Amino acid sequence: MSEPLALDRTLAALADPQRRHTIELLTVRPRRAGELAAALRVAPSVMSRHLRVLRQCGLVTETHPESDARVRIYSLQSAPMAELRTWLDTTEQGWTDQLHAFRDHLERAP
Amino acid sequence: MTTGASRVLVALRVPVPPARAFAVFTGEIGQWWRPSPLFQFTEARNGRMAFEPGPDGRLTETYDDGTVFEIGRIRTWEPPHRLTFSWRHASFAPDTQTEVHVRFDPVGDETRVTVEHFGWDAIPREHAARHGFPLDAFQLRLAEWWQALLRSLRDGVGS
Repeated sequence: MSEPLALDRTLAALADPQRRHTIELLTVRPRRAGELAAALRVAPSVMSRHLRVLRQCGLVTETHPESDARVRIYSLQSAPMAELRTWLDTTEQGWTDQLHAFRDHLERAP
Repeated sequence: MTTGASRVLVALRVPVPPARAFAVFTGEIGQWWRPSPLFQFTEARNGRMAFEPGPDGRLTETYDDGTVFEIGRIRTWEPPHRLTFSWRHASFAPDTQTEVHVRFDPVGDETRVTVEHFGWDAIPREHAARHGFPLDAFQLRLAEWWQALLRSLRDGVGS
């Protein structure tokens, strides 16, 4: 199992319902900050704070369209998700193996 | 503290009644546990696992040189039905721990053993309180949300 430091950050970032809503919106497609603020009905300053937290833990990235450097587009990064998935898969495989070992042991000496 | 931001569930039926399953699970873990790189508590070595029986017992791994690593502490000791204990690897961040819940349910003369492993806790208690629902419910919800999100990512965007 990998070290959970990055995951701690990811999960802490997602403890906030507005940030979770942001992630949900970004699973559909990348969006501009203004669009996200409107969807969440929050002030631009609040939105930019949320986006900063999500960016810091690597959940989202910020890009600019070539046509306009002032516009910021946010999209979802799958790396932190992949890390969580790895933990889930590894732990599931680990326990599956151990429970089989437990059953084998009981079958040898019930 | 109960954790639940991520959760793994594995179940298997074993050919003995719950009392026997509970006794062997805890008392003979040093014999049935298979050393595995998937669960390596300290760096690059595997030792012998042991439960100290009882409500305040520990789960430890002891190495050939006699050193003992405390994997966790027993939180619930209710033979023959329920056992919960904390679980951490040496590589975990300080204050980070996960929790394992084991249930032994009778199925005829046999037992269904269910292991739930809850991921590390990163949800501040006061945050959950602020939103007016119990921490456990909050974390369960978060776990469901994660699972749904991971599914949709796998099906849609991919990784």
